[in-house]
Amino acid sequence: MDKAKDWFGYDSLAFFGKVNASISHELKNVMAIIAETAGLLGDLSEMARGGTPIDPDMLASSTDSIIEEIQRGFITIRQMNRFAHSVDTPVLSVDLMEILDLVRNLSGYLSFAGKASLVKGTAVAPMALTCPFILQAVIYQAVVQTFRNSGPAAELDISVQSNNESTWRIRIDGFSLKGDAEFPDDRVRRMASSIGVSIHCDRRSHHLEIDVPVSLETGQGNGAAG
Amino acid sequence: MKVLLVDDEEKFALMLAKRLALRGIQAEVFFSGEKALDAVQQGNRFDVAILDVKMPGIGGIELKRSLQELDERMKFVFLTGHGSSIDYAAGPHETENYLPKPLQIDVLIETLNGLAEGPPGASDRDG
Repeated sequence: MDKAKDWFGYDSLAFFGKVNASISHELKNVMAIIAETAGLLGDLSEMARGGTPIDPDMLASSTDSIIEEIQRGFITIRQMNRFAHSVDTPVLSVDLMEILDLVRNLSGYLSFAGKASLVKGTAVAPMALTCPFILQAVIYQAVVQTFRNSGPAAELDISVQSNNESTWRIRIDGFSLKGDAEFPDDRVRRMASSIGVSIHCDRRSHHLEIDVPVSLETGQGNGAAG
Repeated sequence: MKVLLVDDEEKFALMLAKRLALRGIQAEVFFSGEKALDAVQQGNRFDVAILDVKMPGIGGIELKRSLQELDERMKFVFLTGHGSSIDYAAGPHETENYLPKPLQIDVLIETLNGLAEGPPGASDRDG
């Protein structure tokens, strides 16, 4: 357990903060739309009070807009809750597709986000005994690198395949890096290394492979990252 | 007063434009900095630009600089979803007319009227 606590150092905290900031930005946008729409309804009420006829369709579209934004807010809060609980247990058996799904949703809150799709690659759920929070951080950084480079035009396909008996391979197709940027950088390399994850980047063919030990017990600290 | 409104949150921008219209202010809405810049490059002129700070592609601060080069008389109001201007690498000069979301429409109207009455480029001390 002491070792597990060590994993959640500054690098983890920085990731946690960054993701929470992007979620709060998303929620603030939701609130801003609701506030403007409610404001418009208020304006229309004032006009009606003054005797100006109001178009019922305008009222209907405004209330629809509020309902849609509330749904968007609930979805965002659900992702925030999943993310918050990902630090509850440092090491546990997780379905990697669930981790990828959360990362995809979280990265979508960035203002420069592109499109990330999950491709089902295995018949069975790819389960791994790992530190889900740190794994999320590593994959998130990979996705963010591409979005940062290609912006909203970025299109990523993310899949999981069985690499060998002891490793799952997460493959990110469409991966790209800005100029002479490198991935992983020191921070991501440290995090990956702490959970026995290795990263192979192929700039030319635009794909990235992240090898995750099926069990942290066997893969931990192999220093293979990078 | 001709207003340019740029925000990638489409619903927000359209809703705000409707509310401005009800107050007699016509705003031309763009959902990206690139398209807004294009419009000004093609000769469209605006008295005030209301710009979201954080947008994909060209953000509000960068857009302001480009718009200023095309029309030095244009004045600017920044909108942001964040609570503090220190979130950005923008100097205090560029966040002088900085309004957080959710907006208070009366504050925005007051700001727009103040800019319309002021001398050209009054919002930009670094102009």
